[in-house]
Amino acid sequence: MSASMQASQFLASVLEQTTPLLLAALAAMITTRANILNVAVEGMMLVAAFTAIAVGEASGSASLALISAIGASAMMSLIFGFVSIVMKADFIVAGLGLNILAAGGTLFVLEQVYQDPGGLRPEVFPDLWRVPSGALSWFPIVGPAFERQSVIVFLALIAVPVCSFVLYRMPIGYALRAVGEDEPAAIAAGVHAARMKLLAVLASGLLAGLAGAQLSMDRLHFFLPDMTSGRGFIGLAATLFGGGLPWATAGAAFLFGAFGALGDRLQTFQAPPQFVLMAPYIAAVLGLILSRVRAAARSRPARIGGRAT
Amino acid sequence: MRDSLQTLSRSLLGPVGAIVAVMACGFLLVLAVSDEPVLAYRDLLFANFDSRSNFALFVNRMTPLLLIGLGVVFSFRAGVFNVGGEGQLYLGAIAATATALAFPHAPGPVLIGLSLIAGIAAGAAWGWIPGILKVRLAVNEVVTTLMLNFVALLLTEYLVINGMRDTTAYGAVSYVLAEQAWLPDIPGLPGATIGAVIALLLAPLAWVALFRTEWGANLRAAGANIRFAEAVGVRAARQVVIAMLISGGLSGLAGAFYVLGIGHRFEQNFSPGFGLIGMTVALLARVHPIGVVATAAFYALILNGAGYMQIDADVPRSLVNLLAGFLVLFMTARFRRGQAPA
Amino acid sequence: MSEPIVVPLLRLRNVAKSFGDKVALSHVDLDVEAGEVHVICGENGAGKSTLMNILAGILQPDAGEMLLDGKSVRFSDPIEAGRVGIGMVHQHFKLVSSMSVAENLFLNRQPLRFGFISDRRVMRERAQTLIARYRFDLDPDASIAQLSVGQRQRVEILKALAFDARILILDEPTAVLTPPEVSELLGVIADLKARGRTILFITHKLKEVKAASDRVTVLRHGASVSTRPTAGLSESDIAHDMVGRDLATPRRRAGGIGSGAPKLSLSGLTMTNASGRRLLDEINLDIRAGEIVGVAGVDGNGQTELSEAVAGLQNARAGAVAIDGKDATNVSPHERRARGLGFIPEDRLDRGLCAGMTIAENVSTDNYAARKLTSCGLIRMAARDAFASEKIRQFDIRGARPGLPVGQLSGGNMQKVVIAREMEKAPNVLVVAQPTRGLDVGAAEFVHGQILAAADRGCAVLLISSELSEIFALSDRIAVMYRGAVLRVLDRTDATEHLVGLLMNGVDEAA
Repeated sequence: MSASMQASQFLASVLEQTTPLLLAALAAMITTRANILNVAVEGMMLVAAFTAIAVGEASGSASLALISAIGASAMMSLIFGFVSIVMKADFIVAGLGLNILAAGGTLFVLEQVYQDPGGLRPEVFPDLWRVPSGALSWFPIVGPAFERQSVIVFLALIAVPVCSFVLYRMPIGYALRAVGEDEPAAIAAGVHAARMKLLAVLASGLLAGLAGAQLSMDRLHFFLPDMTSGRGFIGLAATLFGGGLPWATAGAAFLFGAFGALGDRLQTFQAPPQFVLMAPYIAAVLGLILSRVRAAARSRPARIGGRAT
Repeated sequence: MRDSLQTLSRSLLGPVGAIVAVMACGFLLVLAVSDEPVLAYRDLLFANFDSRSNFALFVNRMTPLLLIGLGVVFSFRAGVFNVGGEGQLYLGAIAATATALAFPHAPGPVLIGLSLIAGIAAGAAWGWIPGILKVRLAVNEVVTTLMLNFVALLLTEYLVINGMRDTTAYGAVSYVLAEQAWLPDIPGLPGATIGAVIALLLAPLAWVALFRTEWGANLRAAGANIRFAEAVGVRAARQVVIAMLISGGLSGLAGAFYVLGIGHRFEQNFSPGFGLIGMTVALLARVHPIGVVATAAFYALILNGAGYMQIDADVPRSLVNLLAGFLVLFMTARFRRGQAPA
Repeated sequence: MSEPIVVPLLRLRNVAKSFGDKVALSHVDLDVEAGEVHVICGENGAGKSTLMNILAGILQPDAGEMLLDGKSVRFSDPIEAGRVGIGMVHQHFKLVSSMSVAENLFLNRQPLRFGFISDRRVMRERAQTLIARYRFDLDPDASIAQLSVGQRQRVEILKALAFDARILILDEPTAVLTPPEVSELLGVIADLKARGRTILFITHKLKEVKAASDRVTVLRHGASVSTRPTAGLSESDIAHDMVGRDLATPRRRAGGIGSGAPKLSLSGLTMTNASGRRLLDEINLDIRAGEIVGVAGVDGNGQTELSEAVAGLQNARAGAVAIDGKDATNVSPHERRARGLGFIPEDRLDRGLCAGMTIAENVSTDNYAARKLTSCGLIRMAARDAFASEKIRQFDIRGARPGLPVGQLSGGNMQKVVIAREMEKAPNVLVVAQPTRGLDVGAAEFVHGQILAAADRGCAVLLISSELSEIFALSDRIAVMYRGAVLRVLDRTDATEHLVGLLMNGVDEAA
């Protein structure tokens, strides 16, 4: 195999690994900018992953499956928003509660409806739209990496500039950031703080929905209980690492995704699979430590306390 | 006295209300999916008391929840949102297993003692990492503990497979421990290990430590307002780290008890999410060590009851997981009226 | 009775507002004429801020009526109030500090391109026009974080004016300003009045009432007690209405200052922030037993850092702190307290108390050993309650019992809990920051008495306050801080408010 082919393959696997992390990171970023630490991304993704498979199997339509997945995740986000914003619950507790609900709910439906707690594996499943093979071969290395990638991968990549544009170029973005940074100031300017927060949570639901759908219906075409396995949390770590800035967050997500892809590579060199699978989690922890070391170096003496983000 | 009674009744109202509301919702759900909803609910709540062996299983189920719940109480009271119970549990379990397997011929009491200490130490070490990172670098502990859970699961799997794996068994399972390392049963309740008794004794001890010592007062001060604690001379950072050591240690102890008392070997995926459930146990108990006894018992009750319910009434046992999620959402949400301006 | 019927621009009748059990406003009547400068004054806790928040649409009254131009109005949010021409300049500026001046001016009402994109060019131009019209010295592109306090306040004023506020409400606008900035602000107010705006001005500083206003309304305990033309009123007339009795002038103590070695000694104390800027700039200060040194300065010139450096809560980059002649530069807060340091921090609810814990727990913290409140490691609950009860009696902490969460007390009573705890060990060095902030006159008198008593006992007191009157009433020497440095240390007998005011603004005529 030629070096350029290997590079393309590696890039393709980085893209695949990164897409759910990137979408989860953006989902967490939007709420972080509204001052909500969103651990519920995990649960929203799980529900979306399940819905995608269930609807895809029943309807035979990939687009319907995708839309339903996003819708289901949005519903979850509204529950999260209702409990944490309207009912003023602690958003970390509410987020973890939502995750338990998502895990329990999907398992319950698996058992009750599909009589199989092990997962949902349709025999035939509609595929998403993909870039045709060879369509991008004129572009060395990068082009082939994008071939056969699904529409979700492209949506994820487009989501970064879109998030950046909304946050920094649209009035609603200004209002959202104002709420997150200084809520009394935003309220004094007439911004409806609770409404903005709900909107941010809903946006995170839509992004998490895409992320969940990518996990189950892009390549695998099946659903397993807990198949998100912490990707929502890694996304959250990417957001914190990226300081809540869209491009930096995306960069962090790519970094963590690259670690995952690198791990896959190492597997072929017979590295223990457990350490390979650990790579993104460790990368996330190290990334967080690194970002804080930088911050601490800038502001010595380090203050402890507070819920730092 | 009047104060404590009032606060007691007030603090009970929320959790009990949430439990009743969620169980009522659950009944409606069971009504919809089952032909025998009453039998299903009877099983869910009371089948644990049908026989001595059922009760013993209930006691065993409660033990890790109680220990992790107590650990979470310490960390939450110190202001650390430790969601890493699961990872600390696994580390404790693997360390206890390794220790017990390493000295197969040691006398029972020594072996049990060493294994428990190893379990506590490993859990504490796993709790120390996010604690020290929070104190030194203000790294968000929610994210680190969540990440470390996954790392712990994979790390223990690796350790079992590479060194302790019982090749005659299916999956990532260690050798069975020597019999003298097994925890004895509670006298008169065969099948229930004395780990439960120790866990039950630790609850009042935790209460005394937190609410009846200057150390506990300082720990709670550090948790409630760390800037205040620093100003009045409490070594707040140290309190936070100590709380995380205790928290991790108790989860590690839970893992060690599980291996020595119930599994008698390390099994990958032995925990049905004890860590997260332990956290909700503590939250439902309003982060109070005595309340944790009641809420751990309640969760153990329905977790085991769900199994009986599934057999008798054909209701999926994951109903309980669903209810657990609702319970967390219900108990944290509350109405707040007339807030004073800042 | 043939007076012409003039409808006041704004009229309030019987306005009331409660928060839970707490009555903030019981009965407020207010008439504001078009084009006047109307001062609302009252003590802290009299309900001024609640009233202004109601006028600005941030809070809604429980009862009563608001009439604008004779028509009943009701605002559900600040936008509605803004629409009819009421703009508010908050005491705590409501500005997003990472955003620019222009972005703050037009937050939530930006000019648009294509109906959905923020038009930043137009926004900038409009901001520039607005700044020019009122001749303010502001850069529309500067981020709020870079601006001085006075400049931020002007952004706040512009924000209100940008939307043609007919009635401009200024909430304690002078609290954070230096004396020269205050006179500038009074100039701005006069200018706005000349342009036909109506101004409502809240303050509890009597001098400003005299200088700025046409009429004054006094609030006391949530009710309006009088409205009178300012001309011909004396400061003591207003003060009498505010407190319901005559003010006692602060007592100067008789006790002398010990000679001997300094109890607290700071030499070359320096602290820097993340970007290397000096927050404390080579502070040298010695305080002897029985001496009170007052630190005057505009908020944010290093006073907070000074108090924290002495208390051991932030590390100095250079220099030394010595307590009782022994070096304490790298010593923990715990150890400093053991050596006799007491600390009354500037924000009670931040560093002073743990709001969720009980009075008994708060007052006993760090006093367990000294008062033998534990035995065999366990807290003797009865002894602790008795200790707390004793302090409640001794310090006249109202509405308190040992088991009550301290956060449920009023500000003054919370401060008494802090003082009770810190005085318990009879400190020989006391750091006191903003001790009477937010306290009513009675409580402030009590706190002043405690500080003087500590000094009489031989304690060295470092008193940090942004209230000049407090500094002058209590201090033996006055140190003036400006941008992290102590510009001068004056003997109180040499100090005048004029001189200190100039120094606070960085003007050192002697230098």
